[in-house]
Amino acid sequence: MSAAVSDPNPKAKPESLAGYIVVPGLFLLAYAGARGGIENVEPGSGAALAFALLPVPFFAFLIYAYVRAVRSMDELGRRIQLEGLAFAFPIALLIVFTAGLLDLAGFHGSQDWDLPRLWPLMLMPYWGGIVLAHRRYS
Amino acid sequence: MSRVADTVPMKNRLRVLRAERDWSQAELAERLGVSRQTVNAIETEKYDPSLPLAFALAELFALSIENIFQPEPAARNTKP
Repeated sequence: MSAAVSDPNPKAKPESLAGYIVVPGLFLLAYAGARGGIENVEPGSGAALAFALLPVPFFAFLIYAYVRAVRSMDELGRRIQLEGLAFAFPIALLIVFTAGLLDLAGFHGSQDWDLPRLWPLMLMPYWGGIVLAHRRYS
Repeated sequence: MSRVADTVPMKNRLRVLRAERDWSQAELAERLGVSRQTVNAIETEKYDPSLPLAFALAELFALSIENIFQPEPAARNTKP
């Protein structure tokens, strides 16, 4: 029986439930904690800074888990991820600069365009890109 | 710079070879260490495998790569 020839890292194991649910869940909890904490401390204080930076290590771990997951995929899985990201990245940039320009243009209304409200929206192009790439090869 | 790999469509006999051995897509995928989706995408010619995977297929079926994968007849006679 042949080895996993298309896998550059034969030691990589498919990601477990922890990779797909626990790690993103921890990040979301940290993010929610940061948002809640910031609103309850004095702006500009050391505590506010600590709350603002709280999600960073969790997100770093999320990146690590994502890269591990991609490395555990076979060659078609990696191509699908690449095509999904190639679709999502420019759209995410488009969302950010359009929101910034709308904000500059005075269309900030009830803070609808601030970054904390935008980043969940930025996940949607990624999922859209992955779905499109999956359909292309199915 | 010409992009021959992207412009020459490839045909393959993977589905026939797999059927001759009475293997399911999942079984072939397991033997190759890839997903069933990858085997299906190759069989339906939506995806051309990498060279290492093509060599693994050739080894598995005890054939040369040319006996499994061939350019489309119309493309074969086309100069790049």
